Amino acid sequence: MTDVSQETLLAWKRGSVKAFEEIVDATRNRAYAVALGLVGNSEDARDLSQDSFIAAHRARGRFDVSKPFFPWFYRILRNRCLNFIRQRARRKEISMDVLMEKESPAASPDTVLIGKERTERLWRALFRISPEHREIIVLRSIEELSYREISETLNISEGTVMSRLFYARKALSAALTDLGAPLVKEGDDAE
Amino acid sequence: MERDGMRYLDREMSARERKEFEEHLENCPACRESLREFSRLEALTRKVKIKDPVDMFWEGYWKSIYRRVERKSAWILFISGLILVSAYAVFRVVRDFGAFTFEKAALLILLAGVLLLLISVVRERIHQKKVDKYKDIER
Repeated sequence: MTDVSQETLLAWKRGSVKAFEEIVDATRNRAYAVALGLVGNSEDARDLSQDSFIAAHRARGRFDVSKPFFPWFYRILRNRCLNFIRQRARRKEISMDVLMEKESPAASPDTVLIGKERTERLWRALFRISPEHREIIVLRSIEELSYREISETLNISEGTVMSRLFYARKALSAALTDLGAPLVKEGDDAE
Repeated sequence: MERDGMRYLDREMSARERKEFEEHLENCPACRESLREFSRLEALTRKVKIKDPVDMFWEGYWKSIYRRVERKSAWILFISGLILVSAYAVFRVVRDFGAFTFEKAALLILLAGVLLLLISVVRERIHQKKVDKYKDIER
């Protein structure tokens, strides 16, 4: 998990605006990606990540520089995203075309089209499950965090990570079936 | 399956644990089928990533954060100054009240307005804190 150098964090804690800018530049893509995974809309994810950087800057006095920046920042971002989801419960606007298949060098136009449909179905299914389940799938499968990193980020035990992943994956599988897209057997899709 | 299945699928097991779990799978068709289902899902989710936004998306991202941080500091200074000036004005009015003039009446109205605004903001904050179901989440 990439993070920010301790030197930069120390300078930021002392109030350096340049260090703050470095932190934002180094972590904004991840902040945006995880916020998007929670709220589903790219403009909202951008605004919420910006709000969270401002909140983190104000709370920097409480940050322990001996620890990595992103898990601490993630808790601020997560809280804002969950509040946002709660407030806009009746107005769900999900951006499409934000998920893509990882590059496949020999992909034909047909394969690309199938891949696009498949990613859109997966994205829609992700927004049929609870934010907590969606979050853990995004962190593990899309952000590729280890159990230990997820446990530190969410401040839960590794045992809870495993059981939450189990129920999240079950819920996602059911959501895909509800959308008329049950899981195909591995190897059925052309790569 | 709930824990071991996930650890197996996510390669979070040691070589010895993997071997033991594979031995269990050989004798447990229910776990085997369940794991197959989870593997298909994992294969699908592992294939995707969130697109990196185009450069234009990031234009003004930092500047907007900087402006808001700066403005927030300015507001804090402004409000702190206003409170100090108001407190000093109250002190002077009380100390040398004398005759009730137009200036004193205007000042009292202004101070009453500021005080009401402050009370309203504080009351709203307290109310928000009471009804916020995520208040226990560490910020």
